[in-house]
Amino acid sequence: MPGEAEARRRQRLLQLAAGAVFLAIVAVAVLIVVNATTSGSGGDTKLEGVAAVNKFLAPYPQNAAVIGDPQAPVEVVEYGDLQCPVCKHYAEDVVPSIIEKQVKQGSARIDFRFMVVVGGESITAGAAAQAAALQGRGWNYIEIFYRNQGEENSGYAADDSFLEAIAKAAGVKNLDKWNADREDLTKWVEENTEEGENVGFTGTPSFTVRGPKLNEELEAVGTAPSTGELEEAIEGAH
Amino acid sequence: MSFPGEWTLRRLIAFVATLGVGIALYIAIADSGSGAPACLAGGSGCQTVADSSYSHLAGVNVAVFGIVAYLLLLASAFFADDAARLGGFVVALGGFGFSVYLTYIELFKIEAFCEWCVASAVLMTILFLLSATRLIGYAGAGEGTAVARGS
Repeated sequence: MPGEAEARRRQRLLQLAAGAVFLAIVAVAVLIVVNATTSGSGGDTKLEGVAAVNKFLAPYPQNAAVIGDPQAPVEVVEYGDLQCPVCKHYAEDVVPSIIEKQVKQGSARIDFRFMVVVGGESITAGAAAQAAALQGRGWNYIEIFYRNQGEENSGYAADDSFLEAIAKAAGVKNLDKWNADREDLTKWVEENTEEGENVGFTGTPSFTVRGPKLNEELEAVGTAPSTGELEEAIEGAH
Repeated sequence: MSFPGEWTLRRLIAFVATLGVGIALYIAIADSGSGAPACLAGGSGCQTVADSSYSHLAGVNVAVFGIVAYLLLLASAFFADDAARLGGFVVALGGFGFSVYLTYIELFKIEAFCEWCVASAVLMTILFLLSATRLIGYAGAGEGTAVARGS
């Protein structure tokens, strides 16, 4: 009978729908539980400060390892080592105030260069950060790295899973490209190091400024300057 | 319990799914490259969400999955048979479940909200409710049923 056939078909369809609802609930629950038991946003590695860093840097343009308006009159170059504890302090307490003032106002841009002073693992880490910079996520990578810095030369800074977790957390979208690029960028880090040494720096973080008042000549601000000294150097170059 | 006519439900599904295609398409286009949707209410929530690794799945922007889901739901509204009723419900259920997951991620992982993503989640929730109503009301009713079922 048509009525019975319709009822059977209806019952079958509703059973299928109920099964789909059950599967969907399980799938969503599994996804949420898996995410809740893993890190910030980078796989199995527990990372600190991911959301805060990404939120802080979101308004600022990034071009390679440069943060700020590319047309900003003053170029600040920071030579840093990702394993260096003093650089970590600068990344957390000094550089953000420069970003919030001079970079935000459009009077300065900051170019991060990788100067290796702590050990060979800094080369691997620097190459990973520069590979992220090629996708516009360099500063996110550097800042998240500093917030999760470990003991010097303990192996973490060259650990692939740690470096990849930071790449994911920093928002690197093409991880295959990032992986391919970082293999080729160790030479870039070595060149950066040589460049910093040629300026006369032997430690990190070190800064140079270049701007109109300096006739575009490079001025070495020095190693580990205070926030005031750095701001003064930027104003002096503007 | 009485249900709205299936024709009415199909028109509503088509309308909401079309809105969804527009929103998902905007997110996908704005997020291509290193861009992000513009937050109309201000703030950097949309940029933060777009910049997070959660905005992509297997290298594909999640908004692209949204476009596909909305198009399938739109297509389901053009047919009045059980395949369209069940298919539309399953797609809407998947979309709704994925929206719940993404909202959780925004709240607890990224700690930022993108109003476009929230709008899409709301639309997907509406589509889920409409598709569920359509399936419950008209499952097994045969092709071309347009009258309200009541009991």
